[in-house]
Amino acid sequence: MRLKAFAATLAVVGAGVVCAMLALPATVTAHHAIQAEFDTNRTEEITGVLTRFAMINPHVRWYFEETIPDAAPGAPPVLWEFTASGPGAMRDAGLARIFEPGETYHVTFAPANSGANVGRLRTLTFPNGRTVTLFHQDPTQVDVKVD
Amino acid sequence: MTYRLSTSMTVALALAAVAWLGVAGPTPLDAQSTPRTADGQPDLSGTWNGGRGGGGGRDYTPDEAGNISSLSAFRPCHPGQECREAVNSERDSGLEQRVAGEHYNVPLYKPEYWDRVQNLDVNGNRLDLSGHCYPRGVPRMGAPDKIMQDETSVVFLYQRMNRFRVIPTDGRPHDPVRAQDVQWDGEPSGHWEGDTLVIESVGFTNESWLGWPGYFHTFDMRVVETVRREGNTLIWQATVHDPDVLTEPWVMEPVRKQLNTDPLARLVEDPPCDEQDMEHMATRERG
Repeated sequence: MRLKAFAATLAVVGAGVVCAMLALPATVTAHHAIQAEFDTNRTEEITGVLTRFAMINPHVRWYFEETIPDAAPGAPPVLWEFTASGPGAMRDAGLARIFEPGETYHVTFAPANSGANVGRLRTLTFPNGRTVTLFHQDPTQVDVKVD
Repeated sequence: MTYRLSTSMTVALALAAVAWLGVAGPTPLDAQSTPRTADGQPDLSGTWNGGRGGGGGRDYTPDEAGNISSLSAFRPCHPGQECREAVNSERDSGLEQRVAGEHYNVPLYKPEYWDRVQNLDVNGNRLDLSGHCYPRGVPRMGAPDKIMQDETSVVFLYQRMNRFRVIPTDGRPHDPVRAQDVQWDGEPSGHWEGDTLVIESVGFTNESWLGWPGYFHTFDMRVVETVRREGNTLIWQATVHDPDVLTEPWVMEPVRKQLNTDPLARLVEDPPCDEQDMEHMATRERG
């Protein structure tokens, strides 16, 4: 009986640990919550020219000048900034130089709650169609059975 | 008789298990296996964990078409639940840090400071300077990533923000000026107690925090770190003495780090920090 209770306890604890491992990001560094800055339930998009890609802490940052086909001559440029995760893993993976200033990219992003031209990058598509996706998993697509 | 036999068998089985563990189980912590310097002290030098920069375990491997997809995992939704994107990832992180693991062990503040801690915590996005590219400082910065050692000092290197500490190990008294300074890593003085390096630091700024949930400290904080090596394991632990605000010294959870035996292991430059998100914060949520 005690053995069964012990086994049951182990099962519950084990399930809890597994759930915790699945639920939590590997890196637990306290910072602002993404939802505090961005509306992650919305997706917007722009096409623009990359003016700078900054490999900076705590989050990498892309700076864009939006391409507006029917812009009036002399109209001020519409500037955008997009952010994503920290620079460490991208740098270690050799991706520090893949974003070329001067190139035109299509960007989808979660917009800032403040209304500023700032977004949390979802996808960035290169001129040749290559796409970089940097966001959070769709929770409905996570391969975990929840009873 | 049955009882006696059962007891004897139990004892025998336990002894056998102990013997088996001693032979086939994890290698016991053996001080004899700890390398020593020429002067007989434990050799703490080496790269401890990682050493290639780290990056949170993300995978940026391109597929055959060159596409890269790096998505942070987070809590799945229950069937039938209205499931919103990216709702629970960083919030789960914050919850975990409050209630689990090392963060379950919290500093105990005197009652008159409870409101202050709560206020700092609630407004941490703005008030926790570590989120604004300031150093975390001692002891929040934790165990070093690399140690260099000579007869009278150790140098601790930290990957995060490219920081270093030069720590005398000859037991010299604190520099009286530096002991009244406002430093993020403090004024250290180290000495050996047996095989343990004991580092006492004073002279801190009062702008660093002990932890992100508003754990402040005073100028007069004294931090005692212990560092020892058992085989290829480094064990670091810190105790915070700040009797003006804490009811008792806060003994932080020990941190164990393994020696990185990769001969190519090295620390790499941590990129500059330029926080640009705070001005766009719409809520006080942290993760």
